[in-house]
Amino acid sequence: MVPLWYFTPNLDRWYWAGGTGVLSAVELYGLFAITQPDNLCVTNAGYVANQASNGLIIGSIYALTAVGLTLIYSVQGIVSFAHGQSYMIGGYASYYFLQLFTDLNPIVGVPVAGLVTMLIGFAFERLFLRPMHLGRIERAGEYAILITFGFGFFLQYTALAIVGPFSQKTDTYLESGSLHLGPLNLIPNRLVAAAVGMVLIGILLYFINHTWTGKALRAVSMDKQAAAVTGINPLTMNTLAFGIGTMLAGMSGAALIPVFTWVPWVGMLASTRSYVIIVLGGLGSIPGALAGGLIIGLVEALGAGCYPDPSRGAAYKTAFGLILFALTLLLRPTGLFGRES
Amino acid sequence: MKHRIDSRWIAVAVLVTLLVLTPLYLKRSPYQMAVLTGAFFYAILASSWALLAGIAGQFSFAHMAFVGIGAYTAGLLGRDLGTTPLVGILAGTLMAGLVGLIIGLLCLRLKAAYLALFTIAFSEILRIVIVTEFEFTEGSNGLQLSKLWEGVTGTQEYYVTLALLLGSMALMYWLAGSRFGLFVRSMREDEEAASAMGVNVVRYKVMIFVITSLIVGLAGSVFYHQVGIITPNTMEILQMSMVIAMAVIGGMESLLGAAIGAFLSRFGLEMLREINILGFHLELGAWRYAAFGLLLIFTLRFAQNGLLYPIIDRLFKRRAREETVAKRVQETEVES
Repeated sequence: MVPLWYFTPNLDRWYWAGGTGVLSAVELYGLFAITQPDNLCVTNAGYVANQASNGLIIGSIYALTAVGLTLIYSVQGIVSFAHGQSYMIGGYASYYFLQLFTDLNPIVGVPVAGLVTMLIGFAFERLFLRPMHLGRIERAGEYAILITFGFGFFLQYTALAIVGPFSQKTDTYLESGSLHLGPLNLIPNRLVAAAVGMVLIGILLYFINHTWTGKALRAVSMDKQAAAVTGINPLTMNTLAFGIGTMLAGMSGAALIPVFTWVPWVGMLASTRSYVIIVLGGLGSIPGALAGGLIIGLVEALGAGCYPDPSRGAAYKTAFGLILFALTLLLRPTGLFGRES
Repeated sequence: MKHRIDSRWIAVAVLVTLLVLTPLYLKRSPYQMAVLTGAFFYAILASSWALLAGIAGQFSFAHMAFVGIGAYTAGLLGRDLGTTPLVGILAGTLMAGLVGLIIGLLCLRLKAAYLALFTIAFSEILRIVIVTEFEFTEGSNGLQLSKLWEGVTGTQEYYVTLALLLGSMALMYWLAGSRFGLFVRSMREDEEAASAMGVNVVRYKVMIFVITSLIVGLAGSVFYHQVGIITPNTMEILQMSMVIAMAVIGGMESLLGAAIGAFLSRFGLEMLREINILGFHLELGAWRYAAFGLLLIFTLRFAQNGLLYPIIDRLFKRRAREETVAKRVQETEVES
């Protein structure tokens, strides 16, 4: 704790922030080990490794959802409060598509869901966000919060009206139960989901860094006017960014529906988690969202696994991330990789 | 000019009289009385959110959390210490105010989207804690609250809530019209400019948080004493989005607009639960909320001041504003 306090004023480099974070995590763990000597997390290293690996696996798919949100923020400068609902819609798009066929691997649903949510994102952006960027709306910042929030509200209840308050689930990716790797006990189904997440993030990074359109997106996120001067249309890029962001949310939903059961309000938790991740990683930073996703996965898994009372630990899973989030907002609002605004 | 001021007071008086007399018509229908009472409660929530977000520009999503804090404090005191509801309500109100103070202090540096995210996190943490610590709070089963007093009737509850609504509206209008209102408005427009002009931004930001959380804490603890039970679902973000939608549709920058908007939408949503037309029976269920969401985004896009704005504007401000605009035009003509 002492170094954390000591370094707080100059947490201006990510490695300082990260290093201090790791250090304080280690110290917290030490404190935890002293107060709870009988806890499984102290006595059994294999258990810890197992929890951690499962956390990282699930974290990589959290990262995919959050990357979409952070992409929207970096280009448009707004936080989409409808992101969790896009995730939920993506899951259902995949579900209903798979219902049309028999014996189709759920992985096929991912691009379909991506297409559906991307079109929704494009339509919403053109109709409701473009007027804001054209300066037709007073108090753009407030409008952006409310309009995305309202859109999420609409999607939420539309899904509830169509689907009903019942839980649904597609087939799993793979049949087999679990995969033993030394002390690690991995669930192949989740591994596939995580692999989907990682592949999609890889494609996105390639797209952003090596194609003209991706470079144009980054240019707009750095400086709208300068980008416009070089012949990039910021409005098109805004639409594109919003569409891709929603698409990523939808695809992560489709990737997770074979793993979790799906109810219309599943998006609430996903959106809260995405906010946590992007703020932790720094709003608008893609590597930040990636790191944040993994950290949150880790924190949730270890927090749930190590909390002295196991049933409560599971219930508090989300709260651990949220506390980390509140602390980030208060101590270092730019997050790990954030740009100074 | 004088004639106009009179007409606005007449409008308010007519409205209040109507609300006071309504129970005479509805005496036989406890269900409709309860719906109206609930609508008053939402009107308090929406108008206080309009004060916080619309007038002071602080986009907090923790309004329902303060309702929960008020109601849970009152309920837990009543259950464990056997206090009377009045004491519980006082304690709940103060507790909400205290937490509002803390949140206000913590949120000083946060702006717009960051503030929204922080308050979402706060209310979610609170909700999760209440669900999880079920040995103390009864968790998702909900905490029972005693009635306001022995043998309280629906009509009495109606008047209690109406009095709360009128009282809080009067307080908020007084605040919004005072120097305080001017200062928070200036803060919303441009915080740096406001503080450069000598507005103590820190103080007013915290004050607006404390005042609105006191109001909703009071409303929450009273209302849930009438309902008899509070569950953690009250503090869900979806409930909060309901309040926000009501305030926006009614008009976020007008306290009266938000209150009437909330009242009408709450009443309308409840009445549309199922409709019978020409023998057709329609269960609208979640569709009415979906339509409500659609109404919300179209209101935001095409009538940013809310759907009630034209009416309120006509009643209250139009003449005055036209006059100033006309004057301004004259002045510029003279200058040029």
